[in-house]
Amino acid sequence: MTAQTQRRWAWPAELRARGILGINRRNADFVLPHNPRSHYPRVDDKLLSKKFCEERGIPVPETYAIIERQGDIRGFPDCVRERPQFVIKPASGSGGRGIIVVAEHDGETFRTPGGAALELAEVRYHLSTVVSGLFSLGGQHDRVIIEQRIIRHAAFERIAVGGTPDIRVILYRSVPVMAMVRLPTAASRGRANLHQGAVAAAVNLRTGETFGGVCKDHVVSKHPDTGATIEGLRIPFWDQLLDAAQKLADALEMGYVGVDFVLDASIGPVVLEANARPGLAIQVANRCGLAHRLDFLDAQPPGALAPARRADLIATLSGMM
Amino acid sequence: MNARRATPWVAGLLALLGVALVGLRAYTRHAQQLASGESLWRLTYTVKFQTETSGARMSAAFPFDTAHCRVFRQNVLHPDMQPERLRSPLLATREIDLLTLQPGEQNMTAKFDIHLSRRGRFPAYNEPLLSAQARAEWLRSDKMVQADNPVVMETLQNIRRETPSSGDLIQQLFEYCHTQVAAAEEETQADAASTLKKKAGTPAGRARALVALCRANKTPARLVTGFVMEENESLEPRVWVEVWLGNRWSPFEPENGFARELPYNYLVVRRDGGDIVRETRGSGLEVHFSALRLPSGLGAGRSKHNSLTALADLTRLPLEMHEVLSLILLLPLGGLVTAFFRTIVGIRTFGTFTPSLIALSFVFADWRTGVFVFALVLGVGLVSRSFLDRLKLLMVPRLSTVLTLVVLCIIFCVSLLDMLRLTPGAQAVLLPMVILTMTIERFYLTSEEDGTGFALQLLAGTVVVSLCCYFVLRWGSVGRFLFAFPEAHLVTIAVLILMGRYTGYRLSELLRFRDFGPVRKPEGPQS
Repeated sequence: MTAQTQRRWAWPAELRARGILGINRRNADFVLPHNPRSHYPRVDDKLLSKKFCEERGIPVPETYAIIERQGDIRGFPDCVRERPQFVIKPASGSGGRGIIVVAEHDGETFRTPGGAALELAEVRYHLSTVVSGLFSLGGQHDRVIIEQRIIRHAAFERIAVGGTPDIRVILYRSVPVMAMVRLPTAASRGRANLHQGAVAAAVNLRTGETFGGVCKDHVVSKHPDTGATIEGLRIPFWDQLLDAAQKLADALEMGYVGVDFVLDASIGPVVLEANARPGLAIQVANRCGLAHRLDFLDAQPPGALAPARRADLIATLSGMM
Repeated sequence: MNARRATPWVAGLLALLGVALVGLRAYTRHAQQLASGESLWRLTYTVKFQTETSGARMSAAFPFDTAHCRVFRQNVLHPDMQPERLRSPLLATREIDLLTLQPGEQNMTAKFDIHLSRRGRFPAYNEPLLSAQARAEWLRSDKMVQADNPVVMETLQNIRRETPSSGDLIQQLFEYCHTQVAAAEEETQADAASTLKKKAGTPAGRARALVALCRANKTPARLVTGFVMEENESLEPRVWVEVWLGNRWSPFEPENGFARELPYNYLVVRRDGGDIVRETRGSGLEVHFSALRLPSGLGAGRSKHNSLTALADLTRLPLEMHEVLSLILLLPLGGLVTAFFRTIVGIRTFGTFTPSLIALSFVFADWRTGVFVFALVLGVGLVSRSFLDRLKLLMVPRLSTVLTLVVLCIIFCVSLLDMLRLTPGAQAVLLPMVILTMTIERFYLTSEEDGTGFALQLLAGTVVVSLCCYFVLRWGSVGRFLFAFPEAHLVTIAVLILMGRYTGYRLSELLRFRDFGPVRKPEGPQS
C-alpha cells in the first residue's frame, strides 16, 4: 500500500509540481501577511481563545477555575473538590506541554488516565512551575486553566493509544483547505503531537472520511501500535465541526490558521486551541500539497469566499491534488 | 504582493550603496597623500634564544601611543610559544609575556606599523596625578640608580651651591650630565655612581646619573627606554629620562642635550628602565631591531578628526580596540551564516544567536581549550540539571543555580588546565555563560519533552552552525577588510533582506517531503 520512493530526496521542481508548501513560503506569503502580530494573543492565550469561542457559541471545554498567581495555588484543592475529573493546562502553552489530565482523585492523590499517581504536593509544584512561565512561549508569567476533561468519542476506540485524538483543520481566509486527525501513539506518550511520533490520517473535507496517513514525515496507512487501518473512518459531526472552525477563523481575524478540535462523547466537536503557524506534515498525510489550494483561493474573484459560498469551494478543494 | 516587489529594490540599493561607499573611500584613501611632517614606519623585533627545559618565559615591550606616535598595525609571531597575557594598562608598559612550550630554539618576530606626526596631533592619554605609591617608586634608590650614594649626594650639593636660589635646579642637573659628564665609548660600568665618579659614561649611564641626582633631590624621575626612528637595519635602543615637574612628566635626554621637549621621532617603549626584550631560564638571547620607512599608504587616521569620514575610519582608534572591533564587525557574518543555515538549509539550532556567540568565544580561546571547557560545562550542567529536577525548584532560582554551577565549572576548568600545564588562554572564561546556561536548560527540557533524539539533533545543528560561524569569524583578512570598510555591511544587510524573502524550499524539506518524489503511484483521496 505504502508508496516507496527510490530516491532519498525530492527535487524542488517535483515538490512545486505537487504544490508542496515549504516553511519559508508559508511564513513569508501566508503567515506574515495574513496574521497580524497584534492578533496573536487571540491564539497564544488559550483563555482569550476560549472567550472568543464562548461569545460565538462555539463549544469549548468548560473552565472550572483559573490560577493567576502563586498565592492562588493554595486554593487549588477547594477548586477541584467537586470535580472528579479535570485537566490542568497552561494558558500560553504549546504542543501539549505542561498539561496534566486527572481521571480521578481524593484530594490527596491524583490519578492520570494512564494510571500514574501524583501527590498533592507534586501537583502544586507543577502548578507553580506553570505560573512561573516554564511552559509559556516566551518564558513569561503564565496562568493555569483548570477545565473539563474531554471524554474520548467512541469513534476512535480502535486507533488512539493512551490519549485523545484531535482533529486539525487548516483554514485560509476562513475557508477550510485541509484537515487531518492526529492519533496518539505509544511513541508520542499519549499526546497528539506529530513531531513526537503521533500518527495522522487525512480527512476528506467534503465527507469527513479519513484517508492517507503520516507518521514521522513518512507515508503510512496503519496505526503503528495497533496495526489497525486508519483509513475509511468517518468523523462524526463533521459538518458541525467545519462550521465551528469557519466561525472561529472569522472571529480571530487570522487569515492562515489551524484550529484543533477534540470530539467529546456527549458534546461533540470542542475547540481545543488555534494555531497561527500550523505545521506542514498535514500535506504528507493528505498525499497532497497546500500551495495549489491556497493559490486557488487567492485566484477567486472578490466575494467568492463569503460564508454562503464556501460549501462549493470546500467540495472543489477536497477534489484538488 | 507589495513586499515581494520592493525587496529586490531595497536590497539592490543597499548593496549598490555599500559597494559605492567602499569604492569611494578606497579611492580617496589611495589618492590622499600624507600631510607634511607625517611619516609611516615599520619597526621590527627579531628575537631568538635557546631553552633546555619547557616553561621558560620571555617578555617583550611594545611601543606606546603618544601624541606624536600611533601604532596602527601590529603583528606578533611566536610559533612555539604560548602567550600568557598581553598587558596594556594605559600608562604602564605595553608588553607581551610568552611561555615556551618545548625545549629548543625559540623565535619571535614582532612588526609594528607606526604613524609619526611632527605636529603631535594624536590624542594623548592624560597622565593621572602621581600616587604616593608611584612617587615612592620613582624616588627609590637601587643598585644601578644609587640616589643615596655619597658620590651622588656630593655632586648634588655642589650643583646646588652653584645654582642661585631662584634658578632651575633640574635644568642645572641636566646641564651637568649633558656637558660635565663626558661620553665614554668603551663598555664601562653604566650605573649612576660610577658615571658621576668618573665624570664619564655611556648614554645609559648618563641617563641614570640624571635620574639618581633628581631622586636624591626628592624629585621623582624615571628611565625611559625606546627608539629614535630613523631608517636603520640595526636599530639600537636608547635611554633617556622623564622627570616629574609641575604635575607632568618632562623628558630630558643628556646624550644629545634635549630638555623638556624631544624630537617627534623618539619612540617610547618602556618607562621603567628595563630591557625591551627579556627572558628567564633560557640562554643565548639575540635581539635585533630594525626600522624601515614605509611608502605613504594607509596610516592611522589621516583625515581631520572632526570630519565625517574620520568617523568611519576605525584605524585612528587605539590598537587595543582594533582586534575587538574587527571581531564585532564579524558578528553580522555569523548572523548571515546562521540565517543561511536556518532558512536555506533548514538546520535547527538552540537559540538564534547561540551559535555565533559560541563561535565568538572560541575565537578568543584557542579551540582545544574551548572544546574542553565547552564539553565539560555542558556535561556538568546537564548532570546537575537532572539532579536539580528532583528538588522541584522554581524556574528562575533553578536557572541561576545552573548558571552558578557553570561559572564555577569554568573557573575550575581553567585552574585544572593550568595545573595540568596545558596553559589555557584566560580568554576561555569568555564563553558566553548565560547563553550556555540557557542551552543546558533547553537541551534538558527538549530531551524530556520531545525525546533525547530530537534534543541531540538540535545540539548537533547548533554545533555544525557554530563551527561554520567559527571559520567565518576566524577569517582574518575579511575581518581586516571590514575594519577598514565597515560600510561593506550594507551588502550584508542586502543579502539578509534577500534571504528574508526567500520562499523556496529548505534543503531539509527536500528530504522531509521525499515521499512526493517521482515514483509514487498516483493515489486519489477519494474512491
